[in-house]
Amino acid sequence: MGLSRREFLKTTAALTAAALAGIDLPLKGEDLAQAAEVDGWFRGTCRFCGVGCRVELGVKNGRPVAIRGVPQSRTNMGYLCMKGMLFYQLMRHPDRLKRPLYRARKTDQFREISWEEALDIAAEKFAQALKTYGPASVAYYGSGQALTEETYLFQKVMRAGLRTNNVEGNPRLCMASAVGGYITSFGADEPIGSYADIEQAFCFFIIGSNMAEAHPVLFRRVMRRKLDNPDKVFVINADPRVSPTSRIADIHLQFEPGTDLALLNAMAYVILEEKLYNEDFIKNYCAFRLGKQKKRVSFEEYKKFIAVYTPERAADICKGNITPEIIRLVARKFATSPATMSFWTMGINQRIRGVWANNLIHNLHLLTGQLCRPGADSFSLTGQPNACGGVREGGGLCHILPGHRPVKVDKLRHQVEDLWGVPRGRIPAKPGYHTMAMFSAVNQGKIKAIWINCTSPAQSLPNADKYRKGLAREDVFVVVTDIFPTKTTELANLVLPTAFHFEKTGVYGCTERRSQLTVKAVDPPGEAKPEVWIVREWALKLADKLKDPVVKKCVEPFLGLEEGYALPKAIWDEYTQKLTAGRDNDLRGAPYEVLKKLPDGVQWPAPTKEWALRGGTYKKFVRGLDPLADIHAVDERPYQFYGPAHKDRKLWIWLRPHKGPAEEPDAEYPFYLSTGRVIDHWHTSSMTGRIKELMRANPYAYVEINPKDAKRLGIGPGDMVLVETRRGRNILPAKVYEGPMEKMVFVYWHDMAEERMINRVTKDAFDPGSKEPEFKICACKIRRLSGPKPLKPYIVRL
Amino acid sequence: MCVFKKGRGKGPGLLQEANMPIGGFVIHVWPAKKPQVLKELAREERLSVYAHDDKGHVVVVIETETSEEMAHLVRSLSLIEGIFTINLAYLYGEDEVEKIESGAYKPQTVFGKAFR
Repeated sequence: MGLSRREFLKTTAALTAAALAGIDLPLKGEDLAQAAEVDGWFRGTCRFCGVGCRVELGVKNGRPVAIRGVPQSRTNMGYLCMKGMLFYQLMRHPDRLKRPLYRARKTDQFREISWEEALDIAAEKFAQALKTYGPASVAYYGSGQALTEETYLFQKVMRAGLRTNNVEGNPRLCMASAVGGYITSFGADEPIGSYADIEQAFCFFIIGSNMAEAHPVLFRRVMRRKLDNPDKVFVINADPRVSPTSRIADIHLQFEPGTDLALLNAMAYVILEEKLYNEDFIKNYCAFRLGKQKKRVSFEEYKKFIAVYTPERAADICKGNITPEIIRLVARKFATSPATMSFWTMGINQRIRGVWANNLIHNLHLLTGQLCRPGADSFSLTGQPNACGGVREGGGLCHILPGHRPVKVDKLRHQVEDLWGVPRGRIPAKPGYHTMAMFSAVNQGKIKAIWINCTSPAQSLPNADKYRKGLAREDVFVVVTDIFPTKTTELANLVLPTAFHFEKTGVYGCTERRSQLTVKAVDPPGEAKPEVWIVREWALKLADKLKDPVVKKCVEPFLGLEEGYALPKAIWDEYTQKLTAGRDNDLRGAPYEVLKKLPDGVQWPAPTKEWALRGGTYKKFVRGLDPLADIHAVDERPYQFYGPAHKDRKLWIWLRPHKGPAEEPDAEYPFYLSTGRVIDHWHTSSMTGRIKELMRANPYAYVEINPKDAKRLGIGPGDMVLVETRRGRNILPAKVYEGPMEKMVFVYWHDMAEERMINRVTKDAFDPGSKEPEFKICACKIRRLSGPKPLKPYIVRL
Repeated sequence: MCVFKKGRGKGPGLLQEANMPIGGFVIHVWPAKKPQVLKELAREERLSVYAHDDKGHVVVVIETETSEEMAHLVRSLSLIEGIFTINLAYLYGEDEVEKIESGAYKPQTVFGKAFR
């Protein structure tokens, strides 16, 4: 007898879940063939963090009805998290932007206009700014959530068409320090290893990352490794705040915010003092470097430098639960484990010395040779799904051209001009404004027209009020492309509705150098359009208005192509076949037809289709595993560090002193304020805030306060608390919780409500190297205002 | 070890046909705490345990009136001592999408209006 529809669905759900766990269920699988509940499954990548989980969207009668993980995927093995579970609701959400909206003045109401008129206005305003004030007066600010094809085409038109390097993106706010760390330590951006190292590691060093909430599917693999080998695998979690990540840790190091550099140097001290370093690895592959001039120094000089970072001194600096004995213990575990893997995210990157903090983690791996072997890697986790693929690799930052080419290197810049068929000299030799400089330039009226794509800087910039004033200026024309209203559309003149994930085709490149294709499954609502169509049509109008054939030349290869598949495919082909050829992120072997054949895409370098069809490169720089390591080999050694930034082909161990945060607590502002994510919400919550379930779970931000501080200040659970910094005030309900350490409070940053929007009070100091702001640390004071009050969640609607 | 065990809840097919969505999950449990976790899960009417193993995998199907209810339930389950993560493998929500399209269900309805 056949199953009822509901029984069928339950059986399908149970069998799918059991298969992931490797359990055979005694259910009648043959019955599943009787009823197809979807018309088709479309494969893609989840867009709610940087892990790159593969997911399939089930479509019936043209609408999304089901999702499931892809079990063959080496990123998620079929598992998904809560954010990934509910994204399909956004596709048919009534708040979706469906038609172009325009207002001449920002105080006016928006009115609906046609695409023809919208693109004409956008082209006119950018052309006008360019003609009147020059190329530096126009800017593009993009996103690590935009597809690679989108970022690539936007930056091509801006650089070669409009002659400006004012091309930036929100990855500057989250992972620029990781980029700086990889380039200065290893000579090349992005991790050497892969997620596959997790199952081969014996020690995990997780610092400045709440992986359990920010990257839950990847964290499952770490936990699985620990649970399967409880006595062999050791987990160290280092964070000023106890988080769900701490639950599986053997040791939780709780130190004062901003003291991480001292802790990391002290671990190096123990490694040297106890001779736990790998002399051969250092001798064969490493060099020691100092200062801005990158002066080469000796191992002996490094030893002298590190001699002041005794565990005793570091414990004094770090405070919390840090003792000299704990530092010695974790250093020994790190160094002597058969394979150690480090993970970090914003706790390390969003620091006034984020690049240095990255360098010091890499130092530990270099000193101990915990690199290039199975299970050993120094691995920066990415926050967004395409910060690596689109922005870091595709040319989405002011100083980087596609294919990891620095703007300032004449030869590489000319290479790009030649590949695009535009005259040499078309791309300016000077990098454009980095993010904080770009919005400062908006404040000063130097930028007259800015295009903001798929991100909401009005909420995500630190010290946001300061920069919202600039965006509100009537002499600054603001175009926003997005799927929902945001705090930034509130400051826009022109709002253009875009297609969402699975409503268009394109590639995301996740944390582990892996490029994966998402294929269009359903049509976007109303008149929403893919960004690649928008840029192409805009560029054509710009070319007319500027009477500049080079602008048209930028989009000429893509004219007339259908926007759902053929257009992004042609863009991807140009990018991979021309721009990545011969570069360290060589993706020539990975056109769409190859990406479609594989369940989880391709890891670069993948210079040939044959190599790509094997999945690409699991481990960079290792001969036999990385084809470029063989091509660029200069001797017989097994590791060949061909990274373009280090001509000496060495990995650099840096002498970096301890440096505290830009703003430390004092008598007036005695608390540390730190910010971060909660599992239910993604970034500014413009998407997750519209999923009722996620919003109900965390309807508004709160301030986490240590119970001892709460008791001292008379603050009870739910009480309304004033959080004040030198930049402004927030009023938030209290969560009294053994999470943050004493003298520290923590606030989630997703809330859009003015009184709870924490980036109104965070500090906009930034790392002088990476230009990434120090979101994680500033000084604040707190005070109980009243007992609990009923609050309403808030989200921007037009 | 693989153990087949139907949930004590409403069981397969007992909810009304129109009730959606349906989710298949793997709950990851500390192996030593699995017996207590299974007892806790058995109290939940909307959840059916289909199998579990010695590694601490527990295969469950959750069926709720709305996905809001499902997300709430998943979150509350994640707080049970001994559970370290709950991962989705399969979700079917056709009826809910129909409701969103028809206007019968508007995800998130309690927000204020944007300031201008």
